Amino acid sequence: MNRLRQHSLEQIFNNNKKWVLSKTGADPAFFDKLAAGQSPDYLYIGCSDSRVPANEIMGLEAGEVFVHRNIANLVPNVDLNVMSVINYAVRHLKVKHIIVCGHYNCGGVKAALTPADLGLLNPWLRNIRDVYRLHEKELDAIADESARYNRLIELNVVESCRNVIKTAAVQQSYRDNQFPIVHGWVFDLRDGLLKDLDIGFEAMLKDVMKIYSLSSDKDPK
Amino acid sequence: MNVARLAVRPSAVARTTEVYSLAGRQSMNVPSVSRSSFKFSTSTPAYCASHKATPTSSTANTSPGQTDTSGADRFSSALRQNKEWAAQTAREHPDLFPTLATGQQPQILWLGCSDSRCPETTLLGLKPGDVFVHRNIANILHPGDLSSGAVIEYAVEHLRVKHIVVCGHTACGGVAAAMGNKQLGILDPWLLPLRLVRERNLALLQSLSPDEAALKLVELNVREGLDVVKQKGAVLSAIQERGLQVHGLIYDVGSGVLRELDTQDSEEVIRSRLTAFATQA
Repeated sequence: MNRLRQHSLEQIFNNNKKWVLSKTGADPAFFDKLAAGQSPDYLYIGCSDSRVPANEIMGLEAGEVFVHRNIANLVPNVDLNVMSVINYAVRHLKVKHIIVCGHYNCGGVKAALTPADLGLLNPWLRNIRDVYRLHEKELDAIADESARYNRLIELNVVESCRNVIKTAAVQQSYRDNQFPIVHGWVFDLRDGLLKDLDIGFEAMLKDVMKIYSLSSDKDPK
Repeated sequence: MNVARLAVRPSAVARTTEVYSLAGRQSMNVPSVSRSSFKFSTSTPAYCASHKATPTSSTANTSPGQTDTSGADRFSSALRQNKEWAAQTAREHPDLFPTLATGQQPQILWLGCSDSRCPETTLLGLKPGDVFVHRNIANILHPGDLSSGAVIEYAVEHLRVKHIVVCGHTACGGVAAAMGNKQLGILDPWLLPLRLVRERNLALLQSLSPDEAALKLVELNVREGLDVVKQKGAVLSAIQERGLQVHGLIYDVGSGVLRELDTQDSEEVIRSRLTAFATQA
């Protein structure tokens, strides 16, 4: 690991060249196809954490997954950044699946549970405290601190999925095309494995639409 | 996972890891409408194209029988590939996961585009734990954006990264959109900084061919992003106090190669920036 961490930018350019050679060696047209455009099946919304690289953990190649990563994989309702990503991925790229992926040992979630003033980070992390408040009874009933922390990480993913489903783009596309389907995952750093939280997309969509419906028969198709 | 639910999407079936490729997609006769949609075609409403890719039309060359033998749909295959990756990584780097579980000390913060063709850790030839990442539409850095602001703050102040990279790329859909004039709803306010750069460089951009102009805007957008990064107090302090480096890169999706821009500021620029933006506790 130390060797890996002591890379200079020069080494990185060498790594990049090696990667290019490995790709063109296996498939000389690899980059020509990418140059023609992208049509990924997935939008991945995950944490910025360096230990959770989207393509690696999903075993996917360049061109296969559209990626947004922020602190603690949040989907705040008023965040123009993530809302633009969802809009573009659904309406222009027509992704078939949207994956919100959290991970255990998330520093962002931990920070949100810590009584400390983190300046600029406060408003961002406050969204996680809101998730705690929404599930206060369940979380308070978990005696073991690390189990409670893990559960909050899962509930935070579920809440982000719910916020994805609140968007007009997702509701209208699903009505017209039966995609995208939204999934919630958690990545476990200890063994590198993904856990599907089985959020129950259709039931969640139905529930969300009761109040947040932004789709009607009159919408453009 | 609700496999039954997923199984109704034949557009995603019959693409095993082995046969899957962008070329394979064409040979299966799946309409490649979204391939060109990144250009924001002005003639067709953006929503229309998806109808061509509905399950019925995309099954043309795929018999249901193939589905079973090919290892089912792309979604379950991603979860399966994760298991393979985890096992292989544990074999090749037995210390990696135990080390990752104890914390992260990345040296690099990557601010790049969400585009699927720009997977940072992969194209840098690095491993999990090496690169802290924020990716958004067209790698735009709005000065007041809390999302990228929180990422930069956390990476610089808490993780103490040594390098910040702002990376743009060729054939960027966001840049193409900002070079056009089609109304795009919520994307419009997001793309606004690109239009500001376009406005400031209108004569230069108009003197170039469309392709050259788009590439120029990619570069100017990276430079703009670097300015926004270097206007943050935490970044300025880290540059001065511990030698944090800030880099501008362009990634060529057509060749896979990274190119570093010359982003050396003149002493006068640095002086003005420090005067206007440096803050103390």
